Amino acid sequence: MDPSQLEGLPEEDKQKMLSMIENMQTKDSLRMYNSLVEKCFKDCVDSFRRKNLDSNEERCVTKCCEKFLKHSARVSVRFAELNAGAEALMQQQQKR
Amino acid sequence: KIGGRQAKQRTEEATMNAGANANMSPAEKAKAFDMAQHEMEYRVDLFNRMTSSCFAKCMDTRYKEGDLNVGENSCVDRCAAKYWQVTGIVGQMLGGMQQQQQAPR
Repeated sequence: MDPSQLEGLPEEDKQKMLSMIENMQTKDSLRMYNSLVEKCFKDCVDSFRRKNLDSNEERCVTKCCEKFLKHSARVSVRFAELNAGAEALMQQQQKR
Repeated sequence: KIGGRQAKQRTEEATMNAGANANMSPAEKAKAFDMAQHEMEYRVDLFNRMTSSCFAKCMDTRYKEGDLNVGENSCVDRCAAKYWQVTGIVGQMLGGMQQQQQAPR
């Protein structure tokens, strides 16, 4: 985040914004946790003859998490680029 | 955390707009905060849906490896770009529909 963008605001507003952001981050982290668990469970666990995960299932879940996190990081980079592109376009249009 | 990062980027814009009118009435300020919040939530949701759609479209769910291969990387990049374009088109269509609904007859 670029904190300088919040600089123009009075302190009280700045704090309110920061706490809104932190709140959203926490909420989103928890949401991500749950949805990743569900995804990897659905993709990796198919048999219920035993109550413990076997080594294949464990390995699958580990790789599923790794893969998803790397994927998410990549999407995050592309998303930022697309965002920046759209903002630049908007600013160009506003200048006319 | 990653989705939150997108929220932060969007907040900057929303708060810049809010900060530009630092002498707003409390009611206007409350509205600006609400809009900033909605904007943030929208961005985070957009990011999350893009991530999960592109994962479903691009990833091999046999999970043979923990890394993305070259094909998957390219797929993700293109998927994100296309998803973004779809977002734009839908936005335009919804905007157009709203105008039609609001236009006096």
